[in-house]
Amino acid sequence: MKSIELLGKGEEMHGRAYIKLSADEIEESIKKLKENGFNHFVMLSCVDWLDKGKFELVYHMWNYEEKEHAMLSVDIDRNNDVMKSMSHLFPQIETYEREIHEMYGIKFEGNNRLTPFLLENWPHDPPMRKDFDSKKFVKQMYESIPFIEGDENEGI
Amino acid sequence: MKEYELFIGPQHPGITGNMMYHLWVDGDTVTKAECNVGYLHRGFEKLMESRLWMQNIPLVCRICVPEPDVNEAAYSMAVEQLMDWEIPDRAKYIRTIVLELARIAAYLMAIGSYAGSIGIYTLPQWSMGDRDYILDIFEQLTGARVYHIYIWPGGVRWDMPADLPRLIEKTLNYIEERLKLYDDVLFENRVFFDRAIGVGKIPCNKAIEWGVTGPNLRACGYGYDVRKLEPYAAYDEIDFDIVSYPDLGKFDAHEAGDVYTRMIIRRLEIEQSIAIIRQALKKMPESEHILKHPNWLRWKVPEGYAFARVESSKGEFGYFVVSDGGLKPVRVHVRGPSYTHGINVAEKLLQGANIADVSQILFSLDICPPDIER
Repeated sequence: MKSIELLGKGEEMHGRAYIKLSADEIEESIKKLKENGFNHFVMLSCVDWLDKGKFELVYHMWNYEEKEHAMLSVDIDRNNDVMKSMSHLFPQIETYEREIHEMYGIKFEGNNRLTPFLLENWPHDPPMRKDFDSKKFVKQMYESIPFIEGDENEGI
Repeated sequence: MKEYELFIGPQHPGITGNMMYHLWVDGDTVTKAECNVGYLHRGFEKLMESRLWMQNIPLVCRICVPEPDVNEAAYSMAVEQLMDWEIPDRAKYIRTIVLELARIAAYLMAIGSYAGSIGIYTLPQWSMGDRDYILDIFEQLTGARVYHIYIWPGGVRWDMPADLPRLIEKTLNYIEERLKLYDDVLFENRVFFDRAIGVGKIPCNKAIEWGVTGPNLRACGYGYDVRKLEPYAAYDEIDFDIVSYPDLGKFDAHEAGDVYTRMIIRRLEIEQSIAIIRQALKKMPESEHILKHPNWLRWKVPEGYAFARVESSKGEFGYFVVSDGGLKPVRVHVRGPSYTHGINVAEKLLQGANIADVSQILFSLDICPPDIER
């Protein structure tokens, strides 16, 4: 795959290139892919690996000519969740970073628009983190939780 | 001149759903626009992490109200990638038909609401009425009108009833006839030309970098369509051409990437969808409609990362699904086309626009807030 050749590492996963990078390499790698035809930035995803103590940021890029999808993955420490902003490379990254900042609490240095996005006046923990317990939160907020059939089996 | 702030939405007929644009205006001209969303956030992505793989199907369809089937298809395709499943041929054709019917229904809604935004109030009444005939087909096929919960990992839930192709053909003929009236009222109407040509232009050299996809990208002259780039369902066996600027058939081509071209592309793609459905009905093979599936309650999906993309009426819909080999997904992230169109692109296009054009620019981008907020 072209992206794996360009960056010199990575593996194929279900027809997509999955490339593990360090936080320092990511900016240069996105620039390099962008110059080589990966000009559509699809999205920026965040995965919370609570048991491994890390957040994984996945930058998805697409090449229209080669019809190739590259996933650039970066791990960041859960206790030191700071990342450099990439919004200068593609304008829509600004919005994705804004959402991840709100939902996971990751701080993006260099993004000036980390303002409330979907949640307004939210004083609690970032809700998409795995250690945010939705049921406990509902109980505390509303003092009761509606009975759901089969609830004791956690959704089964 | 003194600058004023203006709020359009969330309860405003000129806005594309439950969202708000905060505008700064100087006289009639918008100097700055900011998108404000959050009225529809239902936390689906968080919910999906605590539900079984199968229980997520009734959730994902609610991410896009006018065209729910693309979500079911993209989620199912991502799960099929992780499971390494190849779905039966008949299921591929049924999926194609369902997705194209949903596309027509979504386009009818988009065209109707666009016409309303420039003051042609006849068309919204007609197109919403005509959309109901497509919902009738869905009701017979799936039992539901809006949220079908029909496309499942491994195929589709039920086989197509034997008499349904006749109803589909009858409806398609009807819609083809109605399109002529749509042309008279909107697409060949002087009011449309005067209002739409040259307004809300996406700079074509920036379109891909800004993340513009779907009909909005094809209006800029790029013939990119996920159905051709990464064929899913039965699209690789069906013969169709991508409609893109400047080849607009019987309609005149004016400027690339403006409101006019975006709407004409949608109008032409209705005809294209009708042709695709007719081909798919003709070619549909006899086989099973779903794979033999595991017990849903104990169904574990192998570890890995999968990404599936689908061409919706609004642009590229993508599902990023992560599994750790358990009963529930670790993460499901949805890429909605409106995420870029509704925020970065709209904010840039609205700068310098006239207040009266704000609404038609937003409707011509076909922004759908549920897929921004999930």
